[in-house]
Amino acid sequence: MEVFINLLVNGVSTGLLIFLLAAGLTLIFGLMSVLNFAHGGLFVWGAFSGAWIFKETNSFLLAIVGAVAVGMVLGWVLERFLIRPVYGNHVRQLLITLGGMLVLSESIKIFWGPNPIRVNLPAWLEGSYQFDGIIIIKYRVFVIVVGLLLYLALWLLLSRTQIGLMIRAGVLDKEMVQALGINVKGLFTFVFLLGAGLAALGGALLAPYSGVVFAEMGMQYAILAFIVVIIGGMGSLQGSALASLIVGVAGAFMAYYMPDLSLALNMLLLAIVLLVKPTGLLGEKGSAV
Amino acid sequence: MRGVFQKMPLYWGLAILLFLLLFPFVNDSRSTLILLAQIFIFAIFAMSFDILLGYTGIVSFGHCMFFGIGAYSTALIFNKLDATLPNFLIGLVIGILLSALVSYIIGLLSLRLKSHFYAMLTLAVSQLFLVLAEKWRGLTQGGDGFTFSVPDVFKDRTSFYYITLFSVAAVFILLKLFTESSTGKVLKAISQNEYRAEALGYKTLHYKLIASVTAGVAASFSGALYAVSLRFINTNVFSIEVTLDALLMTMIGGLGTLAGAIAGAGIIEFLRHYLSELAMTYPIFERWTIILGFLYIVVLLGFPSGLAGVMKKFTLKKGRKEKKKREMERAA
Repeated sequence: MEVFINLLVNGVSTGLLIFLLAAGLTLIFGLMSVLNFAHGGLFVWGAFSGAWIFKETNSFLLAIVGAVAVGMVLGWVLERFLIRPVYGNHVRQLLITLGGMLVLSESIKIFWGPNPIRVNLPAWLEGSYQFDGIIIIKYRVFVIVVGLLLYLALWLLLSRTQIGLMIRAGVLDKEMVQALGINVKGLFTFVFLLGAGLAALGGALLAPYSGVVFAEMGMQYAILAFIVVIIGGMGSLQGSALASLIVGVAGAFMAYYMPDLSLALNMLLLAIVLLVKPTGLLGEKGSAV
Repeated sequence: MRGVFQKMPLYWGLAILLFLLLFPFVNDSRSTLILLAQIFIFAIFAMSFDILLGYTGIVSFGHCMFFGIGAYSTALIFNKLDATLPNFLIGLVIGILLSALVSYIIGLLSLRLKSHFYAMLTLAVSQLFLVLAEKWRGLTQGGDGFTFSVPDVFKDRTSFYYITLFSVAAVFILLKLFTESSTGKVLKAISQNEYRAEALGYKTLHYKLIASVTAGVAASFSGALYAVSLRFINTNVFSIEVTLDALLMTMIGGLGTLAGAIAGAGIIEFLRHYLSELAMTYPIFERWTIILGFLYIVVLLGFPSGLAGVMKKFTLKKGRKEKKKREMERAA
């Protein structure tokens, strides 16, 4: 029972971190059919800059805010100079965002050196809660709470606000929204910055969680996020949330019982979803086929 | 055959081949021969990628897996058995068969997907191979890798140089024949407009599978040569950097022209060689990958048709100028 609850908590918290990465990916794809391979680069920049600011200032809040700011600035540069020139050309989009990923993760090594960096937990989140012998690490609860709050905020943004309405409409039919006089490109920039900020936030939250950050981390988590986005359905926020939880929890259990097979499990999930339901679990837009 | 060797490029190709054949007699410095052999190996790899991206328009981000499969098959054979030439052939054939099988299965499952899904899926599968190679320590010794001995013919730098040179020439001719064949024409049609090719009655999936298996086999061959050239292997052959190398070389050289891929391989390997030498005096160049990354982005944004495109434009312009000149003379 103990193990079960622990694994569940681990899985849900990892899942919510992946969700932060996947949310941006799925919205960006839904709105503009751009698959951003550089998203993992923003994530790893968030992780490193968050860890660095935390070490320098010893303020976790400042670290998170700084990481998000860095992520958004980089996201803006990426959108403005790499993605905007190749709108509408899928092949070149794929190629150029992968190039962006390379540059982002290599430049990490210029600023912080090629070796992994250790990250400490903030003092007020160290330690664990204890209920009848079940030990739950405080920081994981914190991640879960933050993740759920962000999901709620995103959901409110999309379903209750004017701009959310425009985004949802844009996902369904971009041309029609444009014909109605809404600046879809501006909207896309907004969504891209939002996604970049979320990715950086995910990285900043992950850094103390895993205790160590390294430049290749971006690609690893980006692949997880891609898998999540496909399983959940491209363009669907709820789908991504659901798939993140599935992948996170399944990953946690596999890592405990069969550690060598945890990545294979995700691939298996992915293959099943693609074969059985190519639109993904809650896909709203377009099929993978 | 006529289409393969149009006159001008044929002369150029033969001149370059002759130069490279005589090169070891002029300059037999070890490091230059090693560098050139490395270029030839990566030229084969880049050409195999060009079949996918340039000729068929398939974006694969997992091409390193075939390179790695070829490299590991050969390395493991030499690790377990004696270093003889027949064993090399066995390793080569195993690698090629495995690559063909893997590319066929992956293609069958995923080539029907849209381009971004395919790119993502191949990336994920190649990472799966990386993890497999890292976890299966009993066989691969993980990231530490292992060394192995190779037949003498591969050890001698001059003979290895000739082996790689003949390999690159042979692969170039074979792939050129392939792209000029009727199958190659269909691939070109798919890259331009897949729906239209399908509407004309071609089973595009079938042709894409052929392209994918061909590319996988050629990449596996280059991987085997790579392992032999280093006499050492570790999990780096499955890393995303290997795929990026192929991308960089084909993009810089020019998509859809096999010769461009060779030129791209030459440029990138030369750059890498000199930048890493520069790094010894100027530490800033230690991170030369980022320079290649910027170069890649600049080429993608500014010169999407690569070196080959730039040259074509130049010769076209020259041709037009000459034509104009002749017309002016006639008018006068």
